[in-house]
Amino acid sequence: MNIHNDINNDIKFLAKSEIRLKILNEIYKKPNNVRGIVKKTKITYSSVSSNIGKLEKNNHITKIDNKYHINPMSEVYLKTLMDFKTSMDIVSDYETFWNKHNLNQLSINSVKRITDLKDSQLIETTPVDIYKTHNAIKNQIMSSKNVKAIFPYLHPEYPGLIEMVLKNEGSAELIVPQSIFRELILRIDEKIRKDSMRNHKLQIYSYKEDLNLYLTLCDGNMSLGLFKTDGSFDQNRILISDNPDAYRWAKDLFQHVKCEVKK
Amino acid sequence: MTSKDVKNELTEEFSGIKYILTSGMRSRLLLAIYENPKKLDELRGELHKPSATILHGLKELENINLVRKVQKSYELTSNGFLLTANMIKLIENWYSINKDKSFWNNHDLSGIPDELLKSIYLLKDAEYVNSTTSDLSNAFNTYIKLLSTAEKLKIILPIYSENHFRHLIELLKGKKLRNLELIISEEIYHSIRNNDIFSQEILESDKVQITCVEKSLKIFLTCSDEFVSLSLFFKDGHYDDAQILIAKDKNAQKWALNLAKKYNGGEKDEISTI
Repeated sequence: MNIHNDINNDIKFLAKSEIRLKILNEIYKKPNNVRGIVKKTKITYSSVSSNIGKLEKNNHITKIDNKYHINPMSEVYLKTLMDFKTSMDIVSDYETFWNKHNLNQLSINSVKRITDLKDSQLIETTPVDIYKTHNAIKNQIMSSKNVKAIFPYLHPEYPGLIEMVLKNEGSAELIVPQSIFRELILRIDEKIRKDSMRNHKLQIYSYKEDLNLYLTLCDGNMSLGLFKTDGSFDQNRILISDNPDAYRWAKDLFQHVKCEVKK
Repeated sequence: MTSKDVKNELTEEFSGIKYILTSGMRSRLLLAIYENPKKLDELRGELHKPSATILHGLKELENINLVRKVQKSYELTSNGFLLTANMIKLIENWYSINKDKSFWNNHDLSGIPDELLKSIYLLKDAEYVNSTTSDLSNAFNTYIKLLSTAEKLKIILPIYSENHFRHLIELLKGKKLRNLELIISEEIYHSIRNNDIFSQEILESDKVQITCVEKSLKIFLTCSDEFVSLSLFFKDGHYDDAQILIAKDKNAQKWALNLAKKYNGGEKDEISTI
């Protein structure tokens, strides 16, 4: 992919000066004059004044009635640039979660919307609490009515947990690899399983190939786990979140994998 | 806090994006190996730079764990992949806006929620159509022509326009259009209600579903299976019927359906995936 030259220069013009970005952000929040921006940002008058001139010259802001206003296009530029910054922050904040992990099962759209995960919490096991990640997910499932999950492996407690959700008149939609499909089904109480399937309260999809992703959606909570690039599941880290954006992100990813299964 | 402290704080806050986006070599290297790992000679041929420059850039990217060398090829690490995919999104977003500068820069964008503005790259294949002094109705006529191809329509309609209503009624009377979902403000709803013909032919039609929203709307969005179109208001509050964006690809359709969903509060799975 080639970066078009003028786009490249536009991006560079804003990205290379943190002062310009700060000023533009202030004007975006509220149109202001030079003195007002100095007061808000604590940047020196001469620096604000000279950068305002550059921003105006490059058609990012317009002076109307003694106040500078951001132009609509630059508002989108600023938002997308800040969005890219957030994606970089997410990569570095959860560095241990992503690093040397297999991301093949994430859809490209999930990757491009990674900023939806910005308020997530990284749960890591510790030597004194080696089941911390498992227990966090277990607690989410136990307190939920509606569960959607991608289980790439069968934990002995899963059938019981799903059974409990169904007993409490909840519903479960699961995607599992073919290799554990039968085992999972057989371990759920037969009567509960058959009744739930008949009432569409239990749906299980079998995926022909291995799944490289662990995902749960429990009422408003999501959790995400990954496999390492060596092929083993990383039981020591999960990302969890109750943020609606993260939940929607997980829901869309679940939908994407479900479509892959149906294909 | 002194001005030096402010400068240091800002430098730290934005150091990441500055490091990646202001170096032509670093960003070009990331883009070059995004699809496939490449060897040094392939990179040299593609970037037209000497080995020393390329190796220096690769070393910098290896040091911050975005690139790794496997045998003789350079590839993105998982962190590098996440970052580069989002850098491509940034570039495509800027490209989409830049391509139709006069459309985006002259209008009020407040009717488009932030998350949709941030994924404007999905409109990168949209076509900008505007009216000219020799054809004042070019945008409108293009729109009406497209409408006639639709079997299902979802429209966020922010204006009371007899012209538009007449065309919609004609389509509702025909066999092709099977379903019309209108998202309108209460004000527009009452105006339609006050017109006997429009009220009967549109509001009472079996083919029409109406969603009323309290606030006035600032976007004119149409989604069908075949196309999406978008027109906007000027910053002074007047509707601009002379400029329209039209797209016929799946990405634009997803973008538009998600935008429509923001207004009708729908939660259907099939339209939730951008």
